[in-house]
Amino acid sequence: MGEWSLRARERAEGRSSELMSAISDAVRTPARSSMRGVKLREALWGYGFAGLPMAVFGVFFLYPLAYAVYISFFHWGILGKQSGGAGTFNYAKVLHDPVYHTALKNVAEYTIGVVPLEMGLGLSLALLINSKIRGRNFFRSAFYFPSIASSVAITTIAIYILNSDGLFNHIIGSSTPWFTTASTVTWAIVGLNAWTTSGTIMLYYLAGLQAISTDVYEAAALDNTSAWRTFRKITLPLLRPTHFFVLVVFGVGALKIFDQSFIVSHGTGGPNYATYTPVLYIYRAAFTTFDFGLAAAAGVVFFVIIFILTIIQRLTVGRPEAA
Amino acid sequence: MTLQTAAAAAETYVPGRDRADVLRRLLLYVLVVCVALLFFVPFVWTLTTSFKTIPDSVNVNLIPHPWTTSAWHDVWTQYDFKTYIKNSFFLALVITAANIVLGGLGGYAFARLKFPGREVLFLLVLGTLMIPDQLRFIPVFVMLTNWHLIGGFTGYILINLVTAVNLFFMRQYFLTIPKDFEEAAKLDGAGYFKTFWRVMLPLALPAISALIILQFQGTWNDFTWPLILFGQGNPSHYTVQLGLATLGFQYSTLWPQICAGSIIAILPVLAVFLAFQRYFVSGVVSAGVKG
Repeated sequence: MGEWSLRARERAEGRSSELMSAISDAVRTPARSSMRGVKLREALWGYGFAGLPMAVFGVFFLYPLAYAVYISFFHWGILGKQSGGAGTFNYAKVLHDPVYHTALKNVAEYTIGVVPLEMGLGLSLALLINSKIRGRNFFRSAFYFPSIASSVAITTIAIYILNSDGLFNHIIGSSTPWFTTASTVTWAIVGLNAWTTSGTIMLYYLAGLQAISTDVYEAAALDNTSAWRTFRKITLPLLRPTHFFVLVVFGVGALKIFDQSFIVSHGTGGPNYATYTPVLYIYRAAFTTFDFGLAAAAGVVFFVIIFILTIIQRLTVGRPEAA
Repeated sequence: MTLQTAAAAAETYVPGRDRADVLRRLLLYVLVVCVALLFFVPFVWTLTTSFKTIPDSVNVNLIPHPWTTSAWHDVWTQYDFKTYIKNSFFLALVITAANIVLGGLGGYAFARLKFPGREVLFLLVLGTLMIPDQLRFIPVFVMLTNWHLIGGFTGYILINLVTAVNLFFMRQYFLTIPKDFEEAAKLDGAGYFKTFWRVMLPLALPAISALIILQFQGTWNDFTWPLILFGQGNPSHYTVQLGLATLGFQYSTLWPQICAGSIIAILPVLAVFLAFQRYFVSGVVSAGVKG
């Protein structure tokens, strides 16, 4: 009994002395003793902070991705899923639809036309700005401004200037309604978008040009290399990361064209399907014929096309951040 | 030869400002001014046309003859652009504010707070960048229809509360802020939210400025989503872009009115741009993917 009480006392004292040292430890270094509590608290706050944005991404980005695939396998109208089972009929319809083929052909033509043009323009503007002229900030802003003006306003202005008795036709002495003639409308949109996107591309090229060390130019100057040769042999190759970045981002961007086609054709894709694009196809399938199943299938097909192109780009070019 | 001497040598060998050099610089200025004019003629032409009468709007005189403000009056009252402007401003302000707060919260969590599954969740955020908007048209429209949110502003605001681009952008900026600030805040007894709200968010002001500009411009200029969500509904919910497109479709020869509407659709973004050019340029290049 006495022995027990002694041991108990010892234990109690030991414990209390442990407690005492723990308390004094805690006073000295508060973090160590409650490390797990701090970690837990941090993790909970982490989930709390990230939770709201993650909920938005989950509900409005990731879930719709799955939902789009689901809808694409059904007959789906304005009132929801219709009778009849699931199947790949919507995909068959999209892939065999001559209108969709025309849309793909149009957007391929447009992309092949616009990307080299806007890259060439963007690079030229960047070189102009970079040539140590006075007022370069002013000119940079002036060239960049069309890029941030709304696509609706820009397209509307272009329609006014390119209409049959508009300014452009007065200047060149013609009366072609550029946006309502099937054979010219794609090129009119190419011109319009080259004007509005070359300013953004200029900014990327300016960043690329400024990343080139001045040493190489000094060495070239020492060798009395001509300006053109310096550009071809030094500037152009050293801008490779920028070329690739711009090519990929604006190439994929060009495939997504919608606003301009919608506005010049009043949403019809005409004249003679010349302004039909894959995105306009999705829009019209859904909101003029109310075939949501078909529209969802067209969306999935479009996603797959872009995804494959992006993968090819990643494999061949590397990450765009390299720019 | 060292680099400095090479540079010095290069400098000595550059011939003085001879005639060819002056001529070349002159040509350069002529070129750059011409290109700038080319870029601006359409805007100037649109601006002066908005002060023309309808018959005068098909003539090739730059200066209106006679001057009139009736197109502006029509656009403001008859074609209800004053409502559209209110709607566009409201949506742009609410969505930009939401993106600052939610993008900031998420960006801070992914940059600084440690929690299990952080890397996986962040990959998920980056993954949403791969989902094209065009794939979301149909499912989002169906979802919002089921929730009776088509035609009102709530649905549009909900789907735009925060974007992966903005969250990523904020995270990258938070990563560059030294940890000393947070430690000092912690020593002063500030909790996680207070540290974020009172210390880190104010420190991220340059990133926030770039975000404000790009998001304001993005929402103000957005056409496709308003078209899908409000386009079939009551014009009282139209945005400026939707109103302008509709005006162009319905009255395709009212050039002065259409031009006035176009100027209205551009002006706020121009104002923001002139005020914050510096942030615009750095923001576009660093946000990258925004294109």
